[in-house]
Amino acid sequence: MQLKYGLISADDHVEEHGTVWTQRMSKAKWGERIPHLQTQSDGSQRWAIDGVPAERGPVTEEKQMAGAAYDPRQRLEAMDADGVDYSVLYPTVAGLAGERFGKLADADLELACVQAYNDWLIEEWASVSPRFVPQCIVPIWPMERAVAEIRRAVARGHKGVIYPASPMELRNVPHINEPDYDPLWAVCAELEVPLCFHSGASSKIQMRAGDTFTPAAAQAFDGIVRSVSSIAVLANFLFSRVLDRFPNLKVVFAESSLGWIAYEIEYADYQSAADGLQSEGYSLKPSELFQRQCFVSCWYDQKSLRVRKYPSSANILWSTNFPLESSTWPSTRAHLDRAFAEVPDAERRQIQWQNAAKLYNL
Amino acid sequence: MEIKFGLISSDSHGQLGKDAYTARMSKQKWGDRVPHIIEVRDEKFSDPVERWIVNGEIQGGNVCNCPTAMNERGYYPQRWEEVPRAVYEPAERLKALDRDRVDGEVLFPNGPGGTFFYDNAEFELDCVRAYNDALAEYRAASDRFIPLAVIPFMSSMATIVAEVERAAKAGHMGINMLADPSAAVKGLKNLGDPFWHPLWNACQELGVGVHLHASAGLAGKLSLPQWKGYSRRQAHCVSTLRNFCTATQIVPYLIFSGMLDKFPRLNWVFAETGLGWVSSVLEACDHEWGKRRLWTDGIATRPSDLFRRQIYVDFWFETVGIELRDYIGVDRILWESDFPHITSTYPNSWDAVEHSLQGVSAEDREKVLFRNAARLYRLT
Repeated sequence: MQLKYGLISADDHVEEHGTVWTQRMSKAKWGERIPHLQTQSDGSQRWAIDGVPAERGPVTEEKQMAGAAYDPRQRLEAMDADGVDYSVLYPTVAGLAGERFGKLADADLELACVQAYNDWLIEEWASVSPRFVPQCIVPIWPMERAVAEIRRAVARGHKGVIYPASPMELRNVPHINEPDYDPLWAVCAELEVPLCFHSGASSKIQMRAGDTFTPAAAQAFDGIVRSVSSIAVLANFLFSRVLDRFPNLKVVFAESSLGWIAYEIEYADYQSAADGLQSEGYSLKPSELFQRQCFVSCWYDQKSLRVRKYPSSANILWSTNFPLESSTWPSTRAHLDRAFAEVPDAERRQIQWQNAAKLYNL
Repeated sequence: MEIKFGLISSDSHGQLGKDAYTARMSKQKWGDRVPHIIEVRDEKFSDPVERWIVNGEIQGGNVCNCPTAMNERGYYPQRWEEVPRAVYEPAERLKALDRDRVDGEVLFPNGPGGTFFYDNAEFELDCVRAYNDALAEYRAASDRFIPLAVIPFMSSMATIVAEVERAAKAGHMGINMLADPSAAVKGLKNLGDPFWHPLWNACQELGVGVHLHASAGLAGKLSLPQWKGYSRRQAHCVSTLRNFCTATQIVPYLIFSGMLDKFPRLNWVFAETGLGWVSSVLEACDHEWGKRRLWTDGIATRPSDLFRRQIYVDFWFETVGIELRDYIGVDRILWESDFPHITSTYPNSWDAVEHSLQGVSAEDREKVLFRNAARLYRLT
């Protein structure tokens, strides 16, 4: 691993271009069901997946980032401009939390779409530079398929596994706490790849902007509630016993933030004591489970760094969240200098690159 | 209110007596639909138990939610005769406050209360009036009680405003609100809808704050589907923990809807939500506001400034939010005991206070323990 700037961005997004799936899926077998761009009557383009038009268009919100959103070589230039050494990649069209294809009723189509994404990310991004850290998406069900795809993808070079935190809200599959998912936790632990819950996996736990919001205010609101909606995900996961039962599993809560994670961890310890949970066979307090196995990724946080001891500096990852509009790009360095002014150098290095380097085995 | 101990609970739960509704609602008009207590069978108990029944519907939970007021802490009474009078009689409750060395308390509902959604606006209105009248008796008994009114959501806006004005005159010092009324009853408007503007205006003019308690009605909404495999304790932990998810979304909602600038003297109070999340939510709001230049888009004031002008938040056990108090705004922080619920600090509230406030200056201590509440509720 080579570091020039001292920053690994642990949560960025690729924007999938128009032929990611059409180039890799059988036209004879899938026809118009293949994810592709449709031109609308007004000339704009929309993704269509399984024949259903998506809500959003293909272009990243911020125009100046558009090229670097799609193109890995331009992305490297954007990373250099912002002082980023490595970038951990999450999808966009396939869902910010890798949830989009889990909604498909046809599990065969789901698998074909997932495999095309995973192959594309290796062929067109990871092969261009070792500075890209590819993470695979997963067919949510059945478990044998999920596990097989994780093995295949990791063998091809993927370094992390993106799984939607609430698969039971995508289609009719068991609750994520059920033992049915044990093979998922087990394979990630065995292959030593982190399992990543990115915010936004469930739209139900995100409030909608009111009718009276302006479009820009509504976008700001949507971005914030997506991040904090992971409060509900962490509340469930801390008590689900998955962490107890798979002590070598590593879990990333991507696009969250430090303040509420710190508070939720302290609250979890307080409430589990108040409710007498120690009598029910938990070997560790929620805070200890988190520190042993979980990571939070931040990007805009500043003052909240004061409470970094609650997750602990060994459990915090940094990111620029490129190319979302709320990204700190292109002024990440200035942001970091402000945010870390009072943080000792050793902890600064942990948070800005060492934790991610270790987690992703770079 | 006399400040003797230097501690005000900004979130406690005032139980009404068992005859609170039957004594105030027309038997002729509503018959057995009036909220009252009946004896029923519950499969979890061998002996008959008592439960509240409203509009013919037996209310879930126990006859009274007061596990920290019981001799055996954590036990939920199953019959009304087991409920300590300190939970529902003002004079006895004052003794409990003295025991815990708390000067006064803000009274949120203890069931049945809060909402009365039974497809009948007139029934709801009569229940609301009975509740507000009965709770006002606490205030009549002592100025150490700070009652909060409930509102008839299903009535016309004129009726809602009239009830709030009536309640304020009777001594209520705030109203209880749902985070999203449209999620509770079909046909109601969401929080940002202009329908509510006359209510915000009335509250602003009366100087009473709008209160959102815990999940404020969204517990079942902003939550992953509950797992059937959880024990009772686990399920309670998970559901309690995620309640503050509502506040983290409603604060941005208030900010980005433009409501705070539209009603710049109206206070919003978040009870039983804790504080620690506030810094990240304000950082997120300020960050988005700056990146998207939202001052050019109707959100004239910086979000963290809006927060520090119009929003209050409660804490009871934590240290995270106290460490971040300068950024949250030390003038916006309130302490709460949550008496008599399971998470309550009663009867050792000062132990919890000292745990949270280690190293905090005397001036800041006084603010969060009673001065902010005294200012908000105009107590001194």
